[in-house]
Amino acid sequence: MSKRIWHHPEVPASETTTAWRSPGQLENSPMFRDWLDREFPNGTAEMSGPEEAENTRRSFLKLMGASSALAGFGMAACRRPETYIVPYTKAPEWVIPGKATYYASSMPRSGGATPLVITTFEGRPTHLAPNSLHPDASGTDAFAQASILDLYAPNRSRQFLKSGKTSKRADFQAALAALATNSAAKIAFLSGDDDSPTRNRLQRALAAKFPAAKFYQYEALTGEAVKALGDGVKIAADFSKADRIVSLDCDFAGTDPQGPVTPFFDRRKPEGKAYEKAPDASSMNRLYVVEAAYSLTGGMADHRLRSAPSRILHIAGQIARELGIPQAGGVDKVTDAKTLSWIKPLVADLKAHKGKSMVLAGSRQPAAVHHLALAINLALGNIGEGKPLLALQTEATGKGTLADLKKDIDSGAVDTLVITTPANPIYDAPVDLDFPATLAKLKTSIHLGERTDATAHAATWHVPGAHYLESWTDTRSARGTYTVVQPMILPLYPDCVSEIELLLALLSADGKLLNGEGPNAAPSPAFKAVRETFTALGSAGDAAWKKLLRDGFHAESTYPLANPSLSASAEADIAAANILAGKASDPTPKALEVVFATDASIYDGRWIDNAWLQEAPDPISKITWDNAALIAPKTAKELGIYDIIVSPEPVTKVLGVESKYADVGPDGEANHRKHPVISVTLNGRSIEIPVMISFGQAENTIIIPLGYGQGTDKDDQLGRSPSNTSHVGLVGINRGVNAYPLRDTSTSYFATGASIAITGKRYPIAVTQEHSAMYGRALAREVSTIDSHDDKGGFKQQLANVKKQGNDSHAPPNVYLYKPEDRKGEALINDPLHQWGMSIDLSSCMGCNACLVACQSENNIPIVGKEQVARGREMHWIRMDRYFATQKDNDFDADNPALVPQPVACVHCESAPCEVVCPVNATVHTEDGLNAMAYNRCIGTRYCANNCPYKARRFNFFDYNKRNPLITNNLYHGPLGKKAVGDPDHLQKNPNVTVRMRGVMEKCTYCVQRLKDSVIRQKRGQKQEALVAGKPSTEMQVSTSTLRIPVDSVKTACQDACPANAITFGNLLDAEKSALGRSKNIDRNYDLLNYIGTRPRTSYLARVKNPNPEMPDAKFVGKATIHMV
Amino acid sequence: MANIFPRWSNLLPLKIAVCIGSAVAGVALAFNYYATPKSLTVGYQPSQPIPFSHKIHVDQLGLDCRYCHSFVDVSGHSNVPTSNTCWNCHQHVQRDSPKLAPLHRSMDPAFPGYDGKPIEWVRIHKSPDYVYFNHSAHVNRGISCQSCHGDVNKMEVVYQDQSHSMGWCLECHRAPEKHLRPLEEVYNFDYNAETYISNNPQLGVKTTKDLGLKLKEQFDVKPKESCATCHH
Repeated sequence: MSKRIWHHPEVPASETTTAWRSPGQLENSPMFRDWLDREFPNGTAEMSGPEEAENTRRSFLKLMGASSALAGFGMAACRRPETYIVPYTKAPEWVIPGKATYYASSMPRSGGATPLVITTFEGRPTHLAPNSLHPDASGTDAFAQASILDLYAPNRSRQFLKSGKTSKRADFQAALAALATNSAAKIAFLSGDDDSPTRNRLQRALAAKFPAAKFYQYEALTGEAVKALGDGVKIAADFSKADRIVSLDCDFAGTDPQGPVTPFFDRRKPEGKAYEKAPDASSMNRLYVVEAAYSLTGGMADHRLRSAPSRILHIAGQIARELGIPQAGGVDKVTDAKTLSWIKPLVADLKAHKGKSMVLAGSRQPAAVHHLALAINLALGNIGEGKPLLALQTEATGKGTLADLKKDIDSGAVDTLVITTPANPIYDAPVDLDFPATLAKLKTSIHLGERTDATAHAATWHVPGAHYLESWTDTRSARGTYTVVQPMILPLYPDCVSEIELLLALLSADGKLLNGEGPNAAPSPAFKAVRETFTALGSAGDAAWKKLLRDGFHAESTYPLANPSLSASAEADIAAANILAGKASDPTPKALEVVFATDASIYDGRWIDNAWLQEAPDPISKITWDNAALIAPKTAKELGIYDIIVSPEPVTKVLGVESKYADVGPDGEANHRKHPVISVTLNGRSIEIPVMISFGQAENTIIIPLGYGQGTDKDDQLGRSPSNTSHVGLVGINRGVNAYPLRDTSTSYFATGASIAITGKRYPIAVTQEHSAMYGRALAREVSTIDSHDDKGGFKQQLANVKKQGNDSHAPPNVYLYKPEDRKGEALINDPLHQWGMSIDLSSCMGCNACLVACQSENNIPIVGKEQVARGREMHWIRMDRYFATQKDNDFDADNPALVPQPVACVHCESAPCEVVCPVNATVHTEDGLNAMAYNRCIGTRYCANNCPYKARRFNFFDYNKRNPLITNNLYHGPLGKKAVGDPDHLQKNPNVTVRMRGVMEKCTYCVQRLKDSVIRQKRGQKQEALVAGKPSTEMQVSTSTLRIPVDSVKTACQDACPANAITFGNLLDAEKSALGRSKNIDRNYDLLNYIGTRPRTSYLARVKNPNPEMPDAKFVGKATIHMV
Repeated sequence: MANIFPRWSNLLPLKIAVCIGSAVAGVALAFNYYATPKSLTVGYQPSQPIPFSHKIHVDQLGLDCRYCHSFVDVSGHSNVPTSNTCWNCHQHVQRDSPKLAPLHRSMDPAFPGYDGKPIEWVRIHKSPDYVYFNHSAHVNRGISCQSCHGDVNKMEVVYQDQSHSMGWCLECHRAPEKHLRPLEEVYNFDYNAETYISNNPQLGVKTTKDLGLKLKEQFDVKPKESCATCHH
């Protein structure tokens, strides 16, 4: 008998929105139907593994049987082994065994440090959360969340290298001492873009000690903003003050931060950031975005214009021209009528919001665009104290660039280089600088880093770097608040050195390298250096120091305001850029524009060995573990490659004839989904890279994310010969294609004139865009603040109708299948103190993956590896759905669909379909409304996942925690596979969450360990009350207020991490007192799949778009309600 | 017709039955001995590196539990004292007792075998990794140490007194009144409910059961029985 599938009612003819997750769905491919129809797709549940015949299911069972029989003979497992409790010898202050200790620290990075609160258990950091006390607090992004895994990375650099070969500390010490004692050394320092007061102070001291010393800074993906603003000047945005925001290719919410971004998202909620007022469209901001391909910021845009990056100059010029700015005269006019009709009302809107708007230029855009953006902002009066934009004078002045460094090396002014930048210049420097040859000219080069990357191997010396969670330093946040970085743990490996420690060694008379803990528990010399810097800031004394360590920042010390004006070179730069842009006409299919994109998973390549980031699906393309060239569907059609891209590799062969589709996909069909490989040729250089379709991308552009392809070995699926194998670990090996070789100094961001050709090769890519695809009408709902004169009505009416979208408009009232009370008539969900609930605000969610990685860190979620992801076995408890939707009648730009992200985790249904089908009661409800999983009861029938309409359950097909899934075929070797037990990454595990084993179902728990912890902590209040009252406990009546946790006092890991405040969690019984209670009562609140009667505890708040009614595309905005049928 | 089955085979069915029977009985006994929680742990009394006597320290000297297990009321884990807790007293008292050699090795730099390493106490009470028992949740709500650990104050060498199986946990979660005490009496190993009632007539309860029920109502104690209470 075939499976019975409930068919959703047809979408009414009046529905104008078309929505899709993937090209496969848009084309309605059989493959997508398969993903949609099953809880796990064909083959996911099969034990079909690698090619070897002995690894069939049967032989696996044989092995299992034999090993358990052997185990039985000894009966060794039956008696409990003797275990020990090992207390401290001398109890460290503040450490309570079994309780987390929290410290304030921060993660230094270019663009401003991320202030953090770090959870440690007995001195072992396990989880990162934002420091919400910090003036520049802005949540965390996926990079910050995942950075803790780098501390425990198995392939972390832990030994000194000399010319790429293992060396001894003593040898390096001798070389360092020789350098430190030679004050005539022609030494240079290459640091990152992050700002550190202590490093700046030490560099001044170094300049005094070594009169010939020179200082440079380099990161791979920085632009020319500094040319427009002046040396060391940066622009920081205060989004709370901006009513209108124009982003010219600036992904300020994602990879190109311009200041704390949380206030931006707070103003995406018409009810205020904590839902405290009546909906008011005028309190919302409005975002205009011009960009080439969808970024996280572009997904939030109210109006989005697709444009190749080289054309941004013209658009910026046109905006400036309409505002009457003289410098705009140097730029060619925009002639396209559609673009003009888009720019005109935008300019009018900016004029109407003088001093309350901002124009942000992407930091990787050339200087001319930054000149124009500055001119526009100055003309609108947007810069200055109390204005949306602040111009700040940083301390990073007088630093040379990588090109300057090359010049100085070539001229012999520098013969010794100390590289401490987190970038990897041998790998990521523009090819025309030929940095490997430049580096080879040096007498000595010293590289400090946490990875043994290309630069580590090319330098004379590589010094293993300490992680920021192991070192003392300081840094500055986005707006310059002095922020401390304090170590949570001594360096895991004794030779790991921090940047400050290395500089201090060079400054010392004898060049002695001191790192980590000294004799007799003496602190690292970096501690003293940081404290001296702090004292010099005018904060002497123990009290101020202790406050700094407790709070993590010193609010009084920030960047001074700068007074920017258009630089003298503005007109020349603009003219030069205009000539350059004029030479290359609009890109065409024959002469494509290549965009070297910042990767959302690995940034510039520095995170290539971070398994969490690699496995987190790219927010837009949903690729894991690889990169691919992205191309717009129309361009692909014009090039005649669209059909090749969207149809999968033929997989079945009958008598040597390949059939078009694998109609059954018997064994891991997903693994055979191979994408075609194209060759991209630019200026005579070419690379081969797999290609994918990307929606909403500008035509005739090709986006190539950077940072991949750092090392290959014999298992490479593209058939490249093994190279640079030792540069990366198991995580980073054979990942994607390196696009840096296409890039030179003049084309560091984009280049025109590229051509592509199909190579005939195919490459498997693990893309999750079709995984766990849900059925249902009105999954994500969207409304608009304006009345576009159709049946949807004005803002008020649209809000009132949110709950009636989709099937909810006409479905009969729900009849619950299960009685909510037991046989005695008592309610089953009966806790009078706490009833947990959550709401997710789609109006502020941008789909950035911060929650997904935070959840992974908090809940011990394993990674499964590329092959397993391709089979749909990824374990992330939060699935970040990403939908595209377009209006059928969109005559402005039909190829610019709206992007709607929607995070879905277990919604904790009150009448949960999963619970009734479990044969062993492993998933049951708790009194406080959680849908609980008892892992040790689960026998792995997977009935629950089969019955979950939200597809929120994840199954451990293998022992991902115990057996490293990244070793080829390791999972399939069963008990013979290599165990990962004892790998350093196990130190990251949260001790309060069970590490699940093979054959167990799991899913979101609402971070039950945090809930239990807070509820139990609250119970101590009973004793406190008795003590305060001075009465015996027998005379005290314990009340609800004693035992109920304070309002909004517990946060789930995802909520805590969210930079957009999109997730609200709390106790439903707090009602209007809590943000959650208020969010549940507003009009935008709706239940996902409400009409099937599951009564979920997680509800969603409809997305609100705030279009400008004068814009030509206004009536197509705010209508992306997602139907999946 | 020839006899196919020789005469001895008459007893074969019986023999088979006896063999199978004893094998089954053996398995049942083995299961009962090895695999049930009770036989696994109750009475487990390993010898410790230092023959620490709770009887002397608690019963004779009157030390409070929380002098050594100092975080029992704030943390889920009830800590075993660090070496310096022992040393606080024993650098003065019984300093030269040979039984304290491991402590000297851990704390006393003047001791010949000093290595500064912690003392490895043998674990007696162990719940599985997937069980999250929280001490502070219990001792702050009127459940005494004694309820789970027995009369530790009378133990020369500590042993496991109760089974700590899930059924045993649930017994109390279903009827906490049998174990509830006034908060002041949680750490008092000489507590006797009947004496307490007679000393506190103002409570207005006559039986120990009534006292338990009164405390349960007054403390608002509603122990949970759902899985996520202990398993997450």
